Amino acid sequence: MTDILRSWIGGALPDWLIVLIAYLLVTTIVLFYAVGNFIMMVWAERRVVARMQDRLGPNRVGPAGLLQPIADAVKMFTKEDIVPRNADRWVHLLAPIVALAPVAMMLAVIPWGRGWEPVDLNVALLYMVAVSAVSGVGLMMAGWGSNNKFALLGAMRAVAQLVSYEIPAVTALLTVVILAGGMSLLELPYMQAGVPIMGATILCGDPAGCSPLLYSTITSFPGSPNEPVQALDLGLGWWVFTPVGFLGFLVFFIAALAEGERTPFDIPEADSEIVAGYMTEYSGMKFATFYIAQYILNFALSALAATAFLGGWQGPGVAALANMGGPWVHVAAALSAFYLLAKIWILFFVMIWLRGAFPRLRVDQLMDFAWKLLLPLALVNIVSASLMVGLTQWTSAQWGGLISLDGFAPWQRQLIAVLVTAIINIAAAYWILAINQRPKQVEWDEEELIAAS
Amino acid sequence: MTTEIQTETTEAQTTRGKVYVIDRGRTKLRAGQGLLTGLEVVFRHFRDALTRKLEKPSQQTGVFTVQYPEERLKLPEAFRNFPILLYDDETGQELCTSCFQCQRICPPQVIHMTQARDPATGKPVPAVAEFLIEYDACMSCGLCAEVCPFDAIKMDHEFEYSTDVHGGLTLNKEALNRPISYYEKIAPTFWAEVKDSAMKKLQGNMKRRPDLIGVAPQMVEKIRAQRAAAAAQAPSPTPATPEAAPADKAARLAAARARAAEKAAEATPEPAPDSAPIDKAARLAAIRAANAAKKAEGAADEVAAPATDSAPTDKAARLAAIRAANAAKKAAAEGAPAAGSADFASTPSDAAPAADAAPPASGMPADKAARLAAIRAADAAKKAAAEGAAPASDAAPPASGMPADKAARLAAIRAANAAKKAAAQRDGSEE
Ligand code: SF4
Ligand code: SF4
Repeated sequence: MTDILRSWIGGALPDWLIVLIAYLLVTTIVLFYAVGNFIMMVWAERRVVARMQDRLGPNRVGPAGLLQPIADAVKMFTKEDIVPRNADRWVHLLAPIVALAPVAMMLAVIPWGRGWEPVDLNVALLYMVAVSAVSGVGLMMAGWGSNNKFALLGAMRAVAQLVSYEIPAVTALLTVVILAGGMSLLELPYMQAGVPIMGATILCGDPAGCSPLLYSTITSFPGSPNEPVQALDLGLGWWVFTPVGFLGFLVFFIAALAEGERTPFDIPEADSEIVAGYMTEYSGMKFATFYIAQYILNFALSALAATAFLGGWQGPGVAALANMGGPWVHVAAALSAFYLLAKIWILFFVMIWLRGAFPRLRVDQLMDFAWKLLLPLALVNIVSASLMVGLTQWTSAQWGGLISLDGFAPWQRQLIAVLVTAIINIAAAYWILAINQRPKQVEWDEEELIAAS
Repeated sequence: MTTEIQTETTEAQTTRGKVYVIDRGRTKLRAGQGLLTGLEVVFRHFRDALTRKLEKPSQQTGVFTVQYPEERLKLPEAFRNFPILLYDDETGQELCTSCFQCQRICPPQVIHMTQARDPATGKPVPAVAEFLIEYDACMSCGLCAEVCPFDAIKMDHEFEYSTDVHGGLTLNKEALNRPISYYEKIAPTFWAEVKDSAMKKLQGNMKRRPDLIGVAPQMVEKIRAQRAAAAAQAPSPTPATPEAAPADKAARLAAARARAAEKAAEATPEPAPDSAPIDKAARLAAIRAANAAKKAEGAADEVAAPATDSAPTDKAARLAAIRAANAAKKAAAEGAPAAGSADFASTPSDAAPAADAAPPASGMPADKAARLAAIRAADAAKKAAAEGAAPASDAAPPASGMPADKAARLAAIRAANAAKKAAAQRDGSEE
């Protein structure tokens, strides 16, 4: 963006101003993009969940009810802003802002399309995790500042939930860090080029005869970090197709549901139990701010899940278009942005689907689920991820002569790695599920008991 | 991993209606399978809701929303919202006979009605003059329709009555009226069940409704035009003349009765003038009645004579009756000086009874007048006996439905009864 602006109005303005304008523009675009998606998500959620319940959903305001969110927004704006008399005025006011701001900040590091990333941060994943944790403070402020028992209960639940689910989420993301060898989100989609399961390991035998539509130059694929190779690239080498990525994705997505307070993890605002949780005392635009924060958090987490495990903007055709060069690069960028958006929306659909299907968990079930199931799975997955990297990338010197895979082709190493991690993950999943089963009910034989005593 | 669930709904017809058996698939599920099964079910609902509507009960999926103002479900016949009144399409006659059953049973007491009266006789007729239902308080229980012996009130299917005008929900007869054909349309089998008996009862009631009474307000103009057309076509059969003779007889009879009453009032007995000319007989009877009452009071009785002399025959009869009424009234009102009572009666600018009696005088045939006069006398006497003061206010414009002689007889009986009562009261008070 900065470059474009420089080339347009380079001479007219001082450079610092151009940079400032460029970033302001990017920020505005990203925020509008997110808010636009938020509006569509509110509409879609209501429509989709209605269909799941054999209803039609809002269909009166505008074509197919598309203007319903606008009507809701107007309603929100015209609502009275009520602050309870004994509330902590400032905390009450700041809470929605503190809840929304970090969520908006998360959007800054996500690569929205090929070459469309607002900020390239080399610790983007850490940044995401750290920033998203701040919004928990906002929820706690809301609950505390409202001076309402339901609000406080909701906030306590929210914080407890966020804290416990952050751990499996981060552990699952750790898999990605291991696989990618870094924390940059920008690199992730490039690394997920190639074909399902095998990734970018099917190399071109004859560099002259490989069509640029099918093969592209991979500079940083796990097999050879340094020397660029020509590999078969359908844009489908998503990590979710490997055992490690699959388990990581499952754990991360479930944890993301909990962080985004989606059913079945909507305990903090459980409307049938504690009114609306920490939002109980909020009305009008403050309430809407929480609402926006929640949906944008879901949006950002979906984007993160998509980028980390589903290839991000990667998809069939993107690499081919980019390889054609010239203006096609922009087409490739647009297509890739569409791919990411589609993935986000599919994930969001799954969220709605889960909401339509499952009831809310109890608090103890929630904790059990996080600590007894998700966390062990994520830990096992770290082992698998390490093995995966080791089996596909390490030289025999790195292995210390323990295993020597130097003689194998990249695709063979990949296959071995996939098989090994698959066995580990499936076995671990079975085992952890088994030990999580409720203990068998012991049938007491009364006669025997009496006899024993 | 998902268990294949064949969600089949089978429909079976039993003696007690349809039975739907839903196959719920496998019930034993291992860890996590239940979750996936749930997702599968929800997805099936989602997919089907996009493509089809829920039409039969055996269908498990599909949109069941009815987009109300545009789409409507067919209401079942037994659907009930608010009651309506029925009237016959052809004759315009309302089925309601004002029997008050519905008013009595209505739990929130929102039905109000006035019975129609024959203007000529003041007698109630089996028709309703005005009928009000407060829809805003009606609870749609349908008891009124259930209890109505004439199938005149039925529950409507119309339910869109939202309004911001509160008073607009109190509906009068005109607003409540619907033709039978309307009800037949919304509830054909129900109407078929009661049709014959209802129409038969209506035929019976129609005979007892004079003129346009009982015709639905919205049909009045039409029916009147119809009747006028019918009258213009058919040669009028002159119904009045053959009744003249019996009328005379009736007048005589009335006189006899009056005499009897007079006796009962312990007045000086006088021979019944049976041989007198017919008109005169009626007149005389009335006079005697008056005299008897007056005598009971012990007041002047000579006033009757001048009045009778000056008036033409039929008129005289009427006047005499008026006097009788007045006298009876006075008799009941103890202590009132009765001396001027006869004069009172003859002057038109007088108290209520006289004023009431005046209008019908002019264009009537003799016997009719006699009859009327006698009725008035009766009413007045009765009232006097009951309360002692209030004038009879029920007198209405002349009616024509009844045979004259019968009426005259009846009137005379009433006069006699009234006089008797007056006397009895008087006796009681003296003692
Ligand atoms: S439906 Fe029930 S409440 Fe309504 S008028 Fe009839 S009897 Fe009264
Ligand atoms: S509607 Fe039926 S029950 Fe009610 S007064 Fe009329 S005839 Fe009687």
